[in-house]
Amino acid sequence: MDGGKVTVGRTAALYAGAAVLRLAIFILLPDLPDLLTGRVEISTPVTSFKRLQEGLFLYNHNVSPYDGGVYHQAPLFLPLFSLLPNALSYPIFTYLLYIAIDLLSASALWKIADSGEAGSSALFTSPRRERRWNGFIIAAIFLFNPFTVATCLGRSTSVFTTCAILHAIAKAVSGAPFSAMVALSFASYLSMYPLLLLPPLVLLCLDRQRPERANKSVVSFAASHVPVVFGVLGLLFGMSYLITGSWEFLPSTYGVQLTLSDLTPNVGLWWYFFIEMFDSFRSFFLAVFWLHLSCYVGGLSIRIRRQPLVVLTLLLGIFAIFKPYPSISDTSLFLAMVPLYRHVFPLMRYSFVIAAVIMYASFLGPAFYYLWIYAGSGNANFFYAITLVWGLGQSLLVCDLMFAVLRDEWELERPEMAGKEIRQI
Amino acid sequence: MPRLLSSALALRRDPRILKIPPYLSLLCILVGAVWLFLLPLNEYSRRTYISENALLPGQVHTYFGGSDQNVLRAYKQEVNTLVGKSNVEINDKLESIVRGLGLKTARQKFMYHAAGRTFEGENLYAILQAPRGDATEAIVLVAAWENVKHEVNKNGVPLVLTLARYFKRWSLWSKDIIILLSPDSIAGPQAWVDAYHDAHDSSRVASLPIKSGALQGAIAIDYVQENRFKSVHIVYDGVNGQLPNLDLINSVVNIAGGQMGMGVALQEMWNHNDKYPDRLRTMLRGMLKQGLGLASGPHSSFIPYHVDAVTLQPFGEGWQDEMAMGRVVEGTFRSLNNLLEHLHQSFFFYLLMHRERFVSIGTYLPSAMLVAANFTIMAIFLWMKSGQPEIPAASTTESSDKDDAPTRTTERDLFLPLAIVALSGSLSAIPLYIFNHVPESALTPLFYLFLLINTLFPITLSLTITTLFSPTLQQYHLVKSFSLLLLGMFLSSLATLNFSLAMLIGLLSAPLSFVKPSSSPVSRIVGFVLLNLTSPPAVLLASAAIWGLNVGDILREVAVAWHVTGTYSAVVVWCVWWPAWLAGCVCVLGRPGRDQEEEKKVKKT
Repeated sequence: MDGGKVTVGRTAALYAGAAVLRLAIFILLPDLPDLLTGRVEISTPVTSFKRLQEGLFLYNHNVSPYDGGVYHQAPLFLPLFSLLPNALSYPIFTYLLYIAIDLLSASALWKIADSGEAGSSALFTSPRRERRWNGFIIAAIFLFNPFTVATCLGRSTSVFTTCAILHAIAKAVSGAPFSAMVALSFASYLSMYPLLLLPPLVLLCLDRQRPERANKSVVSFAASHVPVVFGVLGLLFGMSYLITGSWEFLPSTYGVQLTLSDLTPNVGLWWYFFIEMFDSFRSFFLAVFWLHLSCYVGGLSIRIRRQPLVVLTLLLGIFAIFKPYPSISDTSLFLAMVPLYRHVFPLMRYSFVIAAVIMYASFLGPAFYYLWIYAGSGNANFFYAITLVWGLGQSLLVCDLMFAVLRDEWELERPEMAGKEIRQI
Repeated sequence: MPRLLSSALALRRDPRILKIPPYLSLLCILVGAVWLFLLPLNEYSRRTYISENALLPGQVHTYFGGSDQNVLRAYKQEVNTLVGKSNVEINDKLESIVRGLGLKTARQKFMYHAAGRTFEGENLYAILQAPRGDATEAIVLVAAWENVKHEVNKNGVPLVLTLARYFKRWSLWSKDIIILLSPDSIAGPQAWVDAYHDAHDSSRVASLPIKSGALQGAIAIDYVQENRFKSVHIVYDGVNGQLPNLDLINSVVNIAGGQMGMGVALQEMWNHNDKYPDRLRTMLRGMLKQGLGLASGPHSSFIPYHVDAVTLQPFGEGWQDEMAMGRVVEGTFRSLNNLLEHLHQSFFFYLLMHRERFVSIGTYLPSAMLVAANFTIMAIFLWMKSGQPEIPAASTTESSDKDDAPTRTTERDLFLPLAIVALSGSLSAIPLYIFNHVPESALTPLFYLFLLINTLFPITLSLTITTLFSPTLQQYHLVKSFSLLLLGMFLSSLATLNFSLAMLIGLLSAPLSFVKPSSSPVSRIVGFVLLNLTSPPAVLLASAAIWGLNVGDILREVAVAWHVTGTYSAVVVWCVWWPAWLAGCVCVLGRPGRDQEEEKKVKKT
């Protein structure tokens, strides 16, 4: 499947194909986007397009968008979407914007794939790196992934975060640390959690610096680049303040993610846990859950120091499972990065099980949600059980990918063990 | 523990392990099927019981009778003069009667297009406001002018009018009572319920001018019989196999059977002796109806909106009169009136096998899950098999380090198998669209044309694939693995929504687990013929022949159900079963690695 010269024609055909597919669904099935927008698997309180419409309405009527307690997204979305014609009367402009964002994400992914960073980083070169997919295939897998298409159709604003994260990584691998930091600041501004990607991203930038201005020390490199992130974030906050006229957006956007005040069901593991919780334990467990989410950053960055892109991929997978308001959009971002590791796929042990579990969960999830909400013959436990299975499928993928990558590193260290079964002692 | 694990891992490498799954999967199917036949036994089924204490069925004295009989006769006279008149004329007359009782009335127009026909009409409904309620809850009394067999509901409509007049006199209602008089049994109630919940397409179905509170239950009366009747037949199947809460059925059984002493029948089992064969027949009839998912009466449209509803049909020759029927409805309404919250205590998933015997989901679901699991087991097995090296001779050279060698897997070529499965899946949209959108007259010829194409198409497809790509045995294994994985996944999801449909499709597609490509032409042909006998259109034809129905009529009913009530059984047949069947045909007709074999032969000579 790999190989084959990628011509301009093929690139254009891929992008055009992806765009036409989305446009065709938008136009031929006009009810589907609104149906998907209402699905809890796609729209979370912090990314929902419906809530964005509500915020936009308030904003256009000179009321603070956060007054209704419905809108929990970044303030800068509001001027952007106000520029577009009304999404109800002229939905085509919104569709085109979302399609363009998907294509931008795909082009960033293409750059990441073509850089070859997945197979050979500055400190480690995999012996298997020849067996990889080119950018065309990886972009195609991303663009035609049903989760990506569904997210695009559901017009969840998480596609902007996805795009910013992929561009941050693409800039980092192409040796533009400053742009990478700016892109990551945008991602963090939109969704907050991408800030946790900063340490591995700094390492990736350090590894992929242009040789002419190489800076070898981690500390001095970080010291010169991390402030960029905070500078840009400060700038964005300042602009948000100017737009909304108060600092109210901070508690309404990031505060909601930190304190999980909106308990709308989603595919994650938090909502059910916090519905059941007694109020006195709430703050303690919020701290525990956030600590758990962020503790992977340090450990993975240190353990897989030689391949920072792996750390980024694994972290995206972990966030898709454990963040407060995950959706299938986060899974689609993780699944977009996984094919970069085509060369270690033969080392993975549970690929079929993972595929089966994820597919089963994605069909049983809507069925159980239907039983709970519409038919009334099920209850919340049904849906939560499936989100557990969904989380299990993804965590299996994270673990298996981690295993494959570590084994790949290990076989280079100890060539005599190649191909032998590992055994726990 | 580590030792146990390592011995388990060692066992994994045992070649005998790989021989087990086909037998295991056959066992799953057999156990699943036998399980179903054990359910009617006393040991596996349970007696029904009322679980919602507030219902108190049969605990009140019913007063419907006496002079109400004269009123009923008068209304019957009026209704008889209306037979054969147009919908609007009927509604004009009925509306004047209902308005004369002092109820608020309203009308609703609706129009559906399906199978080249137009179903249109006008619903008439009236709201009796509860003297002790605040219009937050309501119960519905339905009488369709025509029942599902298009017989005029000559006694049902007058009875509902009389009951409305009678209910109006009582001051004990705490829920509004809505009287719904619809022109037919399927489209009318569907349009009304859709509009009541604001889920209607306003271009075809008008909105309701007046509404009451949340619907708590609905009783439909289908009383066509002229003479005195013996007992009551409860029809409870909803659209898409959904069922009303078991407490509602139990209440009616309790009131009609216990209090009134008239007996109750289910699933057209007019004489039920409560022995194994009758129980089994009742259960299987129920499952068949549930699997088809068609609306079976005016109550069916209510159930998807979580409004528990049943239709009551008097039947048989006996000594019960209309007043007794009225008292059953009165008793049931008094019970529903007692409800403090929506019916939720009892079961929503059950199979009834006698009016007082049922099995709940925990007991019967494993059988469908086992059948679905057989596909998943085969899918996993084929995946593992496809990963094994094709030539076992190669392993002898490595036998020296056999202990340390992990299970070697060869690289799988996924592209072609995925493409074949995706192709068969996307082709399924064609029959689904065609059979739901052609006019009624074209359905029968189109079906026979499709049957012919359906027989020839797999041969063409398989020939194209073998000549263009000459797939290897591994790729055929993968085609089958993916298609079975999808089938197993869809069926196990479906089993939670509509158990009977999942079970039915699972059993009918069970042969797909055991087909495999073969090198001998005879076994290929035999396999293909056998598969064709279990293809979706062949099964449809066979079942039409068994029940003496016309294929065109069945297809029309399905198309109408798709457009009016939103029955999704057709989607399951065409988009789940048919693609799996097509992939199975491609496998059975496949000639794996023909080129490689020929090369080998050339080398040998």
